Amino acid sequence: MTEIRIPDNIMGKDFLQLAFDHCIKCSTCKYSFKSFTDSCPSGKSFFFESFWASGKIRTTRGLLLGELEWNEDLKDAIFACPTCGACMDACQAPHADYIVDIIETLRELAVKNIGPAQNQEKLVERATNPKMWNPYGEPNSNNEALKKKYNLPDKAEWVYYIGCTSNYRQKTLRDSTLRFLKKAGIDFTLIDEHCCTSPMIRTGQIENSKEFMRYNVDKIEEAGANKVVTSCAGCYRTLKKDFEKFGIDYDFQVYHTVELLKELIDSGKIKIKSKYNKKLTYHDPCHLGRHMGIYEIPREVYKKIPGIEILEMERNRNHSWCCGAGGGVKIGYPDWAIDISKERLEEAKETGAEVLSSTCPFCKTNLSDANEKYGFNLQVLDLVEILDSLEIEIIK
Amino acid sequence: MTLMKEKQTYNNINKEEVFKKLVQIFGKSNVSKKAVDLYPYSYDMTECEAHMPDFVVIPEDSKQLIDLVKFCNSNVIPITPYITGNNVGGLTIPQYGGIIVDFSKKMNRILHINDNMMYALLEPGVTFGQLKKHLDENYPHLRYSYPYAPPYAGVVGNAILSGMNNLSCKIGSMGDSINGLEAITADGKIARIGSCFYGEKEADKDSWWCRYPMPDLMGIFVNWQGMTGLVTKCAVQLWPNPPYQKTFLVLVKGLTDIAPVIREVGKTDVVDDVSAVSTEVVKMTVEIPDPEKYPGEPDFVALFPISGKTKKLLEAKNEIVLNKINELKNQGKNIIVADVDEFAKIFNLRVRCHLDLPAVLLSLVEYSGLTWFGSYAPTHKLEELIQKIDEFFHEYDVPSFIYMKIMKSGHYGIFRPIIRYNKYKDGEEEKIHQLLNDITDFCLSRECIPYKTPSWMTEKMRKKINPGWLKLFEKIKNCMDPNNIFNPGRWNT
Repeated sequence: MTEIRIPDNIMGKDFLQLAFDHCIKCSTCKYSFKSFTDSCPSGKSFFFESFWASGKIRTTRGLLLGELEWNEDLKDAIFACPTCGACMDACQAPHADYIVDIIETLRELAVKNIGPAQNQEKLVERATNPKMWNPYGEPNSNNEALKKKYNLPDKAEWVYYIGCTSNYRQKTLRDSTLRFLKKAGIDFTLIDEHCCTSPMIRTGQIENSKEFMRYNVDKIEEAGANKVVTSCAGCYRTLKKDFEKFGIDYDFQVYHTVELLKELIDSGKIKIKSKYNKKLTYHDPCHLGRHMGIYEIPREVYKKIPGIEILEMERNRNHSWCCGAGGGVKIGYPDWAIDISKERLEEAKETGAEVLSSTCPFCKTNLSDANEKYGFNLQVLDLVEILDSLEIEIIK
Repeated sequence: MTLMKEKQTYNNINKEEVFKKLVQIFGKSNVSKKAVDLYPYSYDMTECEAHMPDFVVIPEDSKQLIDLVKFCNSNVIPITPYITGNNVGGLTIPQYGGIIVDFSKKMNRILHINDNMMYALLEPGVTFGQLKKHLDENYPHLRYSYPYAPPYAGVVGNAILSGMNNLSCKIGSMGDSINGLEAITADGKIARIGSCFYGEKEADKDSWWCRYPMPDLMGIFVNWQGMTGLVTKCAVQLWPNPPYQKTFLVLVKGLTDIAPVIREVGKTDVVDDVSAVSTEVVKMTVEIPDPEKYPGEPDFVALFPISGKTKKLLEAKNEIVLNKINELKNQGKNIIVADVDEFAKIFNLRVRCHLDLPAVLLSLVEYSGLTWFGSYAPTHKLEELIQKIDEFFHEYDVPSFIYMKIMKSGHYGIFRPIIRYNKYKDGEEEKIHQLLNDITDFCLSRECIPYKTPSWMTEKMRKKINPGWLKLFEKIKNCMDPNNIFNPGRWNT
């Protein structure tokens, strides 16, 4: 067998080598390890081996060896995947933790040779537009109006990194977070943030990533912050994991709001006073769960809400079924994204819960879209939105 | 030898027409001719030569497959059945192109569990993990037996290729556990074999309870590697799942002393399974990555699971095994006995993968390539097999990995040297193939019979097999598959 020569200018070069050295195509990546449940939205929907993780690794190999030609036929097998990381969780081989990186590297190669999947180019076109800086194509909000509204300083200990989805689509989550941080007495400010680069990295369009990362780091440092909190699981993963992968150093700590909430509750700084007498089920965002290993912290926070009844879906924590929005799927394959979400809502409905809650605005968007389309009649809310509706006692 | 008609493929009908017909049968989303979709089916974990199929189809039911077989037979188009391709013998590589029938995606239903007569009626795509989950959730008092294979290998494929399991000492080969089959033959007819054979229409789901006593047509399909028809249903036996279970972990020093130990323990007739594997490899299960052997270490590690309906029965079996081990110790065998549950606590939970099958074993997924000489073996020749194969491993500077089993209390054994390697390192695959070639020559000379056999190995076997057997084999193949459409090239057809 010929040795595979991996181009030096590929970001994920080392990840590919790891996969080529270890993937035996044993199929363990296809279903949740030991629970034997469906876990891969891509494979489950498109069937052929090319859509599962081991098939993608093999495709990469074929392309690098020249046994497969770059053409449009490849696009679905490469891009129709929410990179939810279920394969990463199931695989037991040494390259397991890097499967999403491997898929992103394949996308990086694909973008160079055949371009991104349909509509995914818009993510970058919009984000790099100086009037926008966000993948939604909205006029850039420099957040000065919000700073004024919430009376925020220019410099503070914390920066609340809102993220594009919360700032331009899930504004109630943004506003709830702002109100909550304010209520909790956190010394924080906002920056004129640009896209965190998650949509670029997930879709293999990484050309401008470092520039965006450096900009955001500079802005955070200019604000004098040594801590950053974000309510977006995608931004959190990117800031905490991808910046390092791309060689971008920074000197601040990154928190997801659930981590800050837990810290505030555990240290006795806040106490939830009013009751939330509802049955709720929690959807683990892939970017917070499988990508970052945070499963219990949000659950511990929910448990502190008086009156709440938490019901687990059959597939939970590392076995959670993806909401279907990630990896560029929401824009590249919008109908399929909602189909994936439908399966999650069915599971949520089976628990008997009336509220489906998550800790990611992107999950909220897609779950809400499917909820509306299929009439599940669930309330889809972020944890912070729930807390914002409750009476919180601040203990000084 | 059966004539290969590859040259005629697509002479009568062009590929576009074939594609149209396949779409008509299976629906657009269940057929692909895209190179990217075909490519992952062109190879497996072994060093067997890769070959691209021309199409892949995802069937949903037997009716579609009847149409496919009729179409392929009249146009001489090869059909290769595929579940997950974990057979370690290149058996799903479409040597002559044609159509891959991927059973694992939709024809993966557990059709029925007969609780009373203890069998499961399955479609070919059902995996070990799927069956285990179904039994644990719905029939916890029943168990199937699982091989040391990834959890998503196919149950039916393993059974009809006479694969292994973890009740081997009790029940023997998986081929013996088949109650009945449904298969589509070259003329597009459905044949039902076993006690389900009465009646013209669909068999009653409770009629798949036995293989005998009619003429045993099962042999036309079992071990034929898909060369005689497409198996579309299979009933496999289940067994009571005793509440009391225990596994002995036994370390044996002295390279060939493992042979009498496993033979004798097998003959106690109280052990569910007897398996032994080289110590270097076992160490990988406790996450010692480099399979190196240190001086003074035991040569083999064996597992002897026992089970009982009552505590007393388990204790009695425990006593019998311990007595046998003491007897062997008194004969000078250097044996260390441990309780595997305690062992798992001391080291880590990875060890449990060996016990709580089906599971991925770390030692099998550490490299990008894996190949073996998996064989049924005469147990009285185990000593010389171990000795010589260990020498081969050292000669080629490859970690020794020998896996053995005692089947049906000792009626026969399994001897399986396994080689893990880096598939994509220059020259590595060639070296490994040469090693496997040497292993094969020696083992065949000692009358081992490989199973799930790649065609380069069956070519060697053909030189040793008596002409009468070969002639009968050819007659049956020609009769069952006159146009050689079913997985052509297997057994050098």
